[in-house]
Amino acid sequence: MAEGSRWRATGWVALALALLGIVAWPLFRLLSTAWGAGLGGLAAAIGTDGAAAVATSLWMAIVVTVASVAGGTALALLTERSAVPGVAWLRAGILAPLLIPDFVTAISWTRAYGPVGITARLTGVELPGLYGPVGIVVVLVAGAVPLAYLVVAAGLRVRSEPDLERAARASGATPWESLRQVTLPLLLPVLGAAAALVFVTTMNAFGTPVVLGRPAGVVTMTTRIYQDLAFSSTPEAFARVVALSALLVLLAVVTVAVAGRALAIRGERTGASAGPVAAHAPASRAGTGAAWAFVVLTVLLPLLALVLTAMTRAVGLTPLPPNLTLAHFAAALDARTVASLGTSLVLAALTAIGAVLLGGLATAVASRRGSGPVGMMVLLTFALPGSVVAVAILIAYGVTLRDTLAILLVAYLAKLWALGQRPVAAAVSRLPADLARAARVHGAGSFTTLRTVVLPLLAPAIVAAGLLVFTVAINEVTISTLLYGPHATTLAVSIVNLQQLGDPTVTAALAVVLTAIVGLAALGLLLLRRVPWGAAGVGLG
Amino acid sequence: MARTILGALRAVAIALLLVACASPGSTASPSPSVVSSPGASDGAPSVGPTTSTAPSGTLTLYTSVTQDTVDAVLAAYAVAYPDVSIDVFRAPTGELDARIAAERASGGVGADVLWGTDPLSVQAYASQDLFKAWTPAEVDAVPPAYHTDTFWGTRLLNMIIVYRDGVTPEPTDWTDLVDPAHAGRVAIPDPGFAGSAFGALGYFASSDAYGIDYYAALKQNGATQVQAIPEVLTSVAEGQYDLGMTLDKTARDAIAAGSPVHIAWPTSGAIAVYSPVAVFDSTDNPGAAESFANFLLTVEGQTAIADTGWQPIRDDVAGPEIGGPQVAPDWNAIFDRQEELLRDYRSIFGG
Repeated sequence: MAEGSRWRATGWVALALALLGIVAWPLFRLLSTAWGAGLGGLAAAIGTDGAAAVATSLWMAIVVTVASVAGGTALALLTERSAVPGVAWLRAGILAPLLIPDFVTAISWTRAYGPVGITARLTGVELPGLYGPVGIVVVLVAGAVPLAYLVVAAGLRVRSEPDLERAARASGATPWESLRQVTLPLLLPVLGAAAALVFVTTMNAFGTPVVLGRPAGVVTMTTRIYQDLAFSSTPEAFARVVALSALLVLLAVVTVAVAGRALAIRGERTGASAGPVAAHAPASRAGTGAAWAFVVLTVLLPLLALVLTAMTRAVGLTPLPPNLTLAHFAAALDARTVASLGTSLVLAALTAIGAVLLGGLATAVASRRGSGPVGMMVLLTFALPGSVVAVAILIAYGVTLRDTLAILLVAYLAKLWALGQRPVAAAVSRLPADLARAARVHGAGSFTTLRTVVLPLLAPAIVAAGLLVFTVAINEVTISTLLYGPHATTLAVSIVNLQQLGDPTVTAALAVVLTAIVGLAALGLLLLRRVPWGAAGVGLG
Repeated sequence: MARTILGALRAVAIALLLVACASPGSTASPSPSVVSSPGASDGAPSVGPTTSTAPSGTLTLYTSVTQDTVDAVLAAYAVAYPDVSIDVFRAPTGELDARIAAERASGGVGADVLWGTDPLSVQAYASQDLFKAWTPAEVDAVPPAYHTDTFWGTRLLNMIIVYRDGVTPEPTDWTDLVDPAHAGRVAIPDPGFAGSAFGALGYFASSDAYGIDYYAALKQNGATQVQAIPEVLTSVAEGQYDLGMTLDKTARDAIAAGSPVHIAWPTSGAIAVYSPVAVFDSTDNPGAAESFANFLLTVEGQTAIADTGWQPIRDDVAGPEIGGPQVAPDWNAIFDRQEELLRDYRSIFGG
């Protein structure tokens, strides 16, 4: 095993260097800078109304995590464990919100369910409390369900437990008992990974709380941080941004660590092998109906509202044929936007590859589960608001890398490494160890075993992680708004520039175009059929 | 062991990571600063540089001014100063300030010129001695209320009242926003996010006629805060609210596109926020930096600004229709009271 241990040592060195360069050094530079600028304002910031913001962010994140992991798991069990007619369409519908930029999600909901939204105009019904805590939670859950669904569905595919489930059923367990006592316990690492990602993402949410929360006077930590950022021309306000962000990270990571410990599975994984998945029982009508109702209400209607906004000649006009136009699409797709779209696609692809590789590397050499020290470390920069990640990277690497695509890539990796790692790490803990052992016994080397046994089994999780990182990266706004340069302009910059011109119709048009492009790219990937079943199954149907 | 086998993952990982990291940098996309958009170069008054040696080299501009205006000004500047090439970093004020803060912490600000949206953040830098003290040739074009020793107003943003078609009674002044006839139907922008909204807060709070009580009365009347200036316009146009506080240019653009809204220029005065330009003391191309800052104040620069819908700072350049008097807060005084004013505001409107 001399060869193996040498590889392992090399892996550790590479991982340590990546962690140092992408996570530790920027964080250290950020904190030391804030320290130098004086952290005196922190006590005042937290003392007055900061505590309310902390409490609001925490309870919202907990409620959203519980609701969306439950919802995502239910949907994943439905599409992966039962025969649903039109399952490909259902999967595509569930995942579609991942393609819609976060900052237009809340806007699309207000246009669907607000006081002057589609439902209010057509039926007089509006969503009560849309502007306020209830609305924020509902919209955040709708946005987080696809994230949880993607992670859980990929996890279910990595190892199904049909044997154990069948055994339970044969022994007289009801479907509910078999789910509760067999399927869910074995799924715990995956549920933990999904919960951690949703929790941190929700703590970080900005677009929804600001649009739906400001009218009701609701403050979260992120809206608070952004307000200080708007005054960061003074050193005190800047120090407060850093201090509040550090507190946000601390809260997020401690909560994830405590919850992870509570969820941690003790004892050896079961030795059951991945048998062929048996023919699924047909899904219940109620389950299928509920899933479709969810897709229609949380995906299709808001998306339709967005399309209508994009096609309305001027804001405030009734979206009827005489007032409809395609001109906003032309305005959204000027030469500059198209060029920056190319940059963004390349950047998002590089980030997806990089984050999954880094995640794979960390999983391979350091810790199986996401909850190990390395998993927690990459969570630090994932929990940091995008604007603050950008500031940290700029302080650490601005002198050498300013205005290059490389600085954007480093910042994206810092932000999204965890998103690439968690789904893979969770899936690895579900790998049947005996298959790999069998390959080794039969003389396969490390690479052969990796290629023929491990990677094919992990494919669903790897593809899911890559897709997640890609969609988040392509929709990322704050990091690139802060870091772009004349020779590295991303789509986000075009979006913000358009948005600041004040015309929501053009921004909506761009969001619709972006959704369509990313959706078509994902479909194209499917049609190639080069990827194992993973992309087809967990991708976009 | 799965663990041992998985160890092989890193070989692939490292190799691909190296590839991923090696490729960026040269993947250049068309620069946002390429001065290609046909802007407002009408009239072609090619008054070249007044000094004997024409400015040249490169210049980096940091700005929060809207993209269409930046494009128009750069196009006009390129005609007058063909030897200077300008790189632009454009971002909302908050992001711009964060970038400057980060750069100051690591080797210095990367910009030569700052063109901001409101005087407050620019004044913060001025009070930290980041700007060069110099006098532009066109200094007389700027009214004294709209400049200091280090930064000069280039255009005015007017906070006005916008209302939807058919709303009665039609508003005429700020006091109508607290009229019970419009109870629960008024939207105002959040001063915690936008400099111009903060300017309005500063004006009202420090005015004898209104005071911070004006905001208490707004709240009493059921007014709602929305995040930003454009959101006020959107929510009024769509009928979620009947009237609100927004910027004249935003409202004019929407009206031109066909939105069912109108401008009510407050009879006691629109609140005028000036958008300043300043040259960083650390610039290594002061000639070009000053030529650009000064150009913004020239007739050509001002014409480019006016053609994109903003009120020029010069009164000898025709701009959009100004419907009444303009008032302004004492920017110096409210700069010192930022925290206090925001605290007072938040105690009324929450958050």
